[in-house]
Amino acid sequence: MFVSGVDVGSLTSKAVIMKDDRIVKSVIIKSKARPWESADEVMDMALARAGLDRKDIKNCVGTGYGRDKISFIDEAVSEIACHGRGARWLVPSVRTVIDIGGQDCKAIRLDAKGDMMKFITNDKCASGTGRFLEVMAKVMNLDLDELGEMSARSKQPVTFASACTVWAQADVIQQLNDKVPIEDIAAGVNNAMASRMAILANSIGLENDVCMTGGVAKNNGVVNALEKHLGIRIKRIRREDPQIAGAIGAALFAMEKASGGVI
Amino acid sequence: MRVLLKMNNLQEYLAGLLDDPCNEVVEQAVAYGMIPLGYTCSLIPEPVLSAGRLFPLRLRAPGVSGTETADIYLSSVICSYTRSLLELALDSKYDFLKGWVFAASCDHLRRLYDNLGYLNKPEFSFILDVPHKNNEAAMEWLELELEKLRTALSSHFNIDMSDEVISTSIKENNIMLAELRSIGDMRKEAMPLFTGTEFHRLMMALQAAPRKLLSDIPGRFRDAALKRGGAGKFRARFMIVGGELDDPAYTGVIESMGGRVVADRYCTGSFPGLEPISESGKPLAAIALYILEKNRCPRMMEEFDRRADYIINIAREYSADGIIIQTIKFCDTWGVESSLLVAALRDAGIPVLRLEREYRTGGEGQLRTRVQAFIESMKK
Repeated sequence: MFVSGVDVGSLTSKAVIMKDDRIVKSVIIKSKARPWESADEVMDMALARAGLDRKDIKNCVGTGYGRDKISFIDEAVSEIACHGRGARWLVPSVRTVIDIGGQDCKAIRLDAKGDMMKFITNDKCASGTGRFLEVMAKVMNLDLDELGEMSARSKQPVTFASACTVWAQADVIQQLNDKVPIEDIAAGVNNAMASRMAILANSIGLENDVCMTGGVAKNNGVVNALEKHLGIRIKRIRREDPQIAGAIGAALFAMEKASGGVI
Repeated sequence: MRVLLKMNNLQEYLAGLLDDPCNEVVEQAVAYGMIPLGYTCSLIPEPVLSAGRLFPLRLRAPGVSGTETADIYLSSVICSYTRSLLELALDSKYDFLKGWVFAASCDHLRRLYDNLGYLNKPEFSFILDVPHKNNEAAMEWLELELEKLRTALSSHFNIDMSDEVISTSIKENNIMLAELRSIGDMRKEAMPLFTGTEFHRLMMALQAAPRKLLSDIPGRFRDAALKRGGAGKFRARFMIVGGELDDPAYTGVIESMGGRVVADRYCTGSFPGLEPISESGKPLAAIALYILEKNRCPRMMEEFDRRADYIINIAREYSADGIIIQTIKFCDTWGVESSLLVAALRDAGIPVLRLEREYRTGGEGQLRTRVQAFIESMKK
């Protein structure tokens, strides 16, 4: 029995097809202006790569900001619940999930069974989200992947006076003009991001094990800095790409539904 | 008035009254020679502002799209409700008002009072100094303040504000409150006959137009709800708690995710706003007692436990599955209160979702996600 999860986020859209608790295929694309177009494209790509058709999917759950606009899903579940469920599948011992998406960030506490106990999300400010890193990387003329790697090469990370995206951007430009090594600026950006995220994570009360999901979980500079800020070890997700955790969670909900469970 | 037998038609009519600060009923009242007075806080006694030809209007800022002009005069840490009111005032949207009555309820609204005085001075403006404590001295003080308000209104508008007139106003007000209270009580039912959004709209419309001209509306609302026979399915019952919340669209977003708002404790809501004022003794003394005893505002000192218990009891009485605390960003009064309240409610075993927002309803996607996740976390 095949099931699928589609996570239409503000920056990327993800689709996961699962069978018997195993991922058959997953795809990530850049989101389009209209969520239903993103959902159609990412789902069709995943199906094509798996050699399947839409009618082969027994149940499909949608999540992400565009979830209500997806025509082919059977049910919509919040991305908070999906990230919790997906993280649990990726790291079975996890009790706290920190997810940094394109335009939001959230901390989720799970109980011993893996059910969501409580959560907290950022406000509308872009600080502490993937958008913050994207803006800074663009100013520094770097790829997002490079930004993460540079922290390791930094000898003297700069400190930003504010984690506000607008002010930090102005600071980055100033540092570039002052010919500060780009590694030190990049490390400063990652630290600023981590410090903002640590405030959110601490406010929910951390419980081990802790893991990170979302695209920013692939940025080692941020993950390492966040570990320092929180004073705990963050379990790295190795089983799959942490960016598809929400779509995995959606697929797991779909599997539960297809098996007669209630979401 | 159009025939308003169906809930949809009635809701459409009520929504129309909320589109603009000055609606058709207000215009009609002014044409009859009635005098509109704007007010900004639940601590201001409506019966005093309803005496004789006066009628009160709870000030809202419908349609405000930005606060560029108000931002010049008010700091960025002043709440967006205050800034929105000033914006519309500077845009002459409240020029139809014959006066403004404020309470010294918070520093933000006091700044609005100050700035209006400099920038667009109303022909009548009064600020009521409400004590922060509830004791004998506070009672005496507040009664004197109400006496000053009565004298100011009476002399400025040349109207009779005698004890008899205010007593009549209290009686009329109590009749309306009793009717609204009985409708509000219908939310205790397992399947309420109306949505929280519909009730919110009813409550707001009755604060946005002279109640004397809308006296038949609560009855029509009840009849329409009974006739319809149900308001649809929902996943969880909620109580909304917080400060100023005058936009039913916000309640609508919460309900669109499967919530059903069955109780409310916010400034423009039904708790604690619908209790009757005593009709015996001196009317101003009765009003002073009512303000100090019933307001449950976080600005009052040494009363946190009483306020928290009040909310917990209502949540239980109305079988709320969870409480949503919403506060406007930079609202000092509710910002501090909500932190303490979250802990108190969780200790009482009530699931809580805390939301910070701007005055104008926005960020719907994020709000929907949080509410949906809240419902999911309750296994509803």
